[in-house]
Amino acid sequence: MSIASKPGAGGENMMEIDITKLNLQQLSQLKQRLEQELQMYQSSLQSLKVAQTRYQNSKESIEKITPDCKGKEILVPLTGSIYVPGKIADAGSVIIDIGTGYYVQKDLDSAKDYMKRRVGFVTEQMEKIQAMGQEKSMIKDAVMEVMEGKIQQEIGLQKAALARAAAAGKT
Amino acid sequence: MAEELQKKLQLEVENFQALQKQYQKTLSVRQQLGGQLFESETVKSELDLVKKDQEVYKLIGPVLIKQDLEEALQNVNKRMDYIKGELKRIDDTITDMEKKQDTQRDLLNKLQQQYQKAQLSAGGKN
Repeated sequence: MSIASKPGAGGENMMEIDITKLNLQQLSQLKQRLEQELQMYQSSLQSLKVAQTRYQNSKESIEKITPDCKGKEILVPLTGSIYVPGKIADAGSVIIDIGTGYYVQKDLDSAKDYMKRRVGFVTEQMEKIQAMGQEKSMIKDAVMEVMEGKIQQEIGLQKAALARAAAAGKT
Repeated sequence: MAEELQKKLQLEVENFQALQKQYQKTLSVRQQLGGQLFESETVKSELDLVKKDQEVYKLIGPVLIKQDLEEALQNVNKRMDYIKGELKRIDDTITDMEKKQDTQRDLLNKLQQQYQKAQLSAGGKN
């Protein structure tokens, strides 16, 4: 039972640690943490992707609404599986969920604008996460390289010790 | 002597693990709060863009209730203030917990050393 202390307090000062000065155990801990972070980035990216397609779909739906849709029949979903026929009363505006339970009525153009803004924002976040992920995986590669070197060194030392012991045994 | 130490060591390790678990829990609460604050911020910036002739609704249960823009803004601001307060409180708890973990870790290291020493001396007697 060994008590592990985390190397570095946060992700920011990770680069400031000279990884060649760490021992094998610390390195493998570092590697594990980097892998965890990478996994977190992956799942964030996935949920962002879902959000992105949702906004994209909403935007496309808004684009299908035109002023002469007014009065046309439409099937309104009451639940996921029950639909009732209805007529479009207002083809000029939609009500948008902006989060935390607030909804705003917007005309078609500003609704489209909203969706565009959201898609842009989500895409921006995705790019940021991708860049961060690339940086982390580069650090991970560096850590793995150093680890490999240390392992080789250790093996070399062991071999040398064995050879010395063998030589001492002969004399 | 060594057995006693071992029992104590085990107890303290359990304490340490409990601390770590609690710490993780607090961290995830913090994360959630951070997300809520962020959501409120986006809602606020969106409400700021609302023009006078646009209606604002609030979802209460399954129905949308028409709401005054001013009132909505006030509510969002209040919510943000509340979340910020909570965040500050939880940040304090987190630093507190980090300190506690550090002392516990030191204690454990000390106990481990003592235990090893006791084992060595016991081995020496045999």
